[in-house]
Amino acid sequence: MSTDVDKRREESAGLMEYSAENLVPFGPIHPSLKEPEYFKIILEGERIVDVIPRIGYVHRGLEKAAEMRPWVQNMYMFERTCGICSFVHSLCYGQAVEGLTIFQVPKRAEYIRLIICEMERIHSHLLWVGLMGHWAGFDTLFMWVWQDREVVLDLVEAISGNRVHKSMNAFCGVRRDMPEGMEKHIVERMKFMTDRARYYREIIDTEETMLERTQKVGAHVTQDTVEKLCAVGPMARYVGLRQDVRLNNPYAAYGEVPFEIVTRNEGDVQALLRLRLDEIIASANMISYAVENLPDGPIKVKIPPVIPAGEHSSRCEAPRGEIFYYVKSTGGRTPDRVKSRQPTLANLPLALEILKGQTLADVPVVLTAIDPCFGCMDRMSFLDTEKNKQWTWSGEQLRQYGINYYFPDRKDKA
Amino acid sequence: MSENILEQIGKIANETNSKVVTLRKGETVIEVEKDNLRNFITHLVQDLKVRNLTTITGLDLGQEIGIMYHFSYERETIHVRTKVAKTSAAPSIVKIIPGAILYEMEVHDMFGTGFEGNPWNDKKLLLPDNWPSDLPPPLLKSSKPAEIRKRLHLEAEPKK
Repeated sequence: MSTDVDKRREESAGLMEYSAENLVPFGPIHPSLKEPEYFKIILEGERIVDVIPRIGYVHRGLEKAAEMRPWVQNMYMFERTCGICSFVHSLCYGQAVEGLTIFQVPKRAEYIRLIICEMERIHSHLLWVGLMGHWAGFDTLFMWVWQDREVVLDLVEAISGNRVHKSMNAFCGVRRDMPEGMEKHIVERMKFMTDRARYYREIIDTEETMLERTQKVGAHVTQDTVEKLCAVGPMARYVGLRQDVRLNNPYAAYGEVPFEIVTRNEGDVQALLRLRLDEIIASANMISYAVENLPDGPIKVKIPPVIPAGEHSSRCEAPRGEIFYYVKSTGGRTPDRVKSRQPTLANLPLALEILKGQTLADVPVVLTAIDPCFGCMDRMSFLDTEKNKQWTWSGEQLRQYGINYYFPDRKDKA
Repeated sequence: MSENILEQIGKIANETNSKVVTLRKGETVIEVEKDNLRNFITHLVQDLKVRNLTTITGLDLGQEIGIMYHFSYERETIHVRTKVAKTSAAPSIVKIIPGAILYEMEVHDMFGTGFEGNPWNDKKLLLPDNWPSDLPPPLLKSSKPAEIRKRLHLEAEPKK
C-alpha cells in the first residue's frame, strides 16, 4: 500500500509540493461531474490540501477544424462548442469576423441578438440553480427550477425554432426575425420569471438545507487573488469586482439598454446563488425593455464569402463569464487561425484555490459553483470509456458508420 | 482614462525597445522582443494595473511561433506579441500572473513551445498522454488530422 502512495507521490512530484497522506481520484467519470474531467484531490484527514486537474477528455480540435472550413460554416461549428450558451459563441466569433469587414450590423439585429443572449443567460443560470439544489440535497428546488426553465426555452424556440442550437446568427445580422405579436407575451413571461427568481431568492435565504450547504462554503479569497488568477464573470463579481463585458465594453445593443451590474461581497457559494438569481431579474428587465423598444429595419446585411486580411478579437459576456475569440485572416475563404477562450478554463485556477481547506464532501458543491462547462473548456470528442479509447469522426465517417451499422449488406459501404 | 493608459504603455514600450501598432480603436498590438517580455509584462501588471490576462494565443508563422498575450483593460484590448524560434522556449509569466499557467500549458500542447519556469511545463493539458513525441504538435500547419488519427489508432471501426 505504501509503495502505491509513494508511486503516486513520485508521479505528482514536480507538479506541486504537498505533505499529505491521501490522494483521492475524482473523475474522469463521477456522478457529480456531468462531463468527464479528472481531479487529483490530495487530502489530509478530511481536509483538501491540494487539487491537480487533468483536462482534455473531450478535446475535439475545433481550432484546427476551423482552419479547414469556410468562414460561414465555422460560425455554426463554434455554436456547437456548448449546449447551453451556444448563441453567444457564434455571436462572439461573428463579431470578430464582422470587425474585419466594412459592413455594419443593423440595429434591429443587434437588439434581437441581445434578447437571445439574455434568454440564454436566464436559462443557463436557472439550470445552475437547479443543479446546486440537487447537490445540496434539495431536489424539490431542482425540479421547480427546471420546470420554470422550460418557460424560457419555449420562448427561445418560438423565436428561433430551436431549443438548444439556435443557429440564429449570421454575419452582420440574424437569420430570423422576431415573430409578430410576440412582444406582449414575452413581457408577460419575463414578469413571471422575475417573480419566480424573487421567490427562489427567498428560499435560498431562509431554507435551512440550502444555508447549511452553501453559507461559508468555499475558501474565502480576496479580490487580489481573484484578479491574479484572472477569473471572469460571476466568479469575479462574487467578491465585489465590477467585471462585466456588458458594462466595460458594450457589444450588440448593450450600450443602449439600461443595465445594472450585480455584485456581491461575501465570496462564498451562497453569494453565487444570490448573484445569479439577481442576474436573472436584471436579464428579464433587459429583455422586456429591448422587446418594447425594438427598432424597425432590416435584420441582415449580405457580405461576400471572402473576408479581408487582418486580425481582430472580440469579447462577450457568456452566462459563465467572458468569452474571447481571436481571428486572423489572410484574405482567403478559410481563416488562418481562430482562437477561442472559454470561461471555465479561466475560472479553473480559482476553483482549485477555493477548494483548498474544504472538506471532501463539499467538492461537488464547490466544483458546481463555478458553473463548470468542461465540454466548452476542452472545446471538443468521443470517448469510449469501455475501450479507454478516444477518437474524432468527420461527418462522412459518421454517415458511413451509420450505413455500416444498419445496412451491413449494402454495396456502397466503405 | 483609456487614452491615458495607451500613452503610458507607449512609454514603457519605448523603454523596452518595443513597437506599438494600433490595429483599430480599442485594439493595440505591442511587439516585444522575447528577452524583454517578462520585463514588459511586469511593468504592465504592476505599474499600470493591467492585470486581466484573457488568454495566450499561439500562431504558426512559418519559421517561428508567435505568442500573443491578450490583456483587457476597460474598453481596450492589449495584445502583447512576441516571437520564438520553433525549437526554443519562451519565458514563462506564471510568476507575474499565476492565472497564466493553464494557457501556457495549452500553447505548449498545441504548438510545442516550452515555457521556461512554468511548474507544469512537462505535463500534458489537452493532448492524450500517449501522444507520440515525433508527431508535430496539432496546431502547426504541418500537422495533418488524418495522420494524427492514423498514429493514435483513432480510426472508427464499424460495429459488428
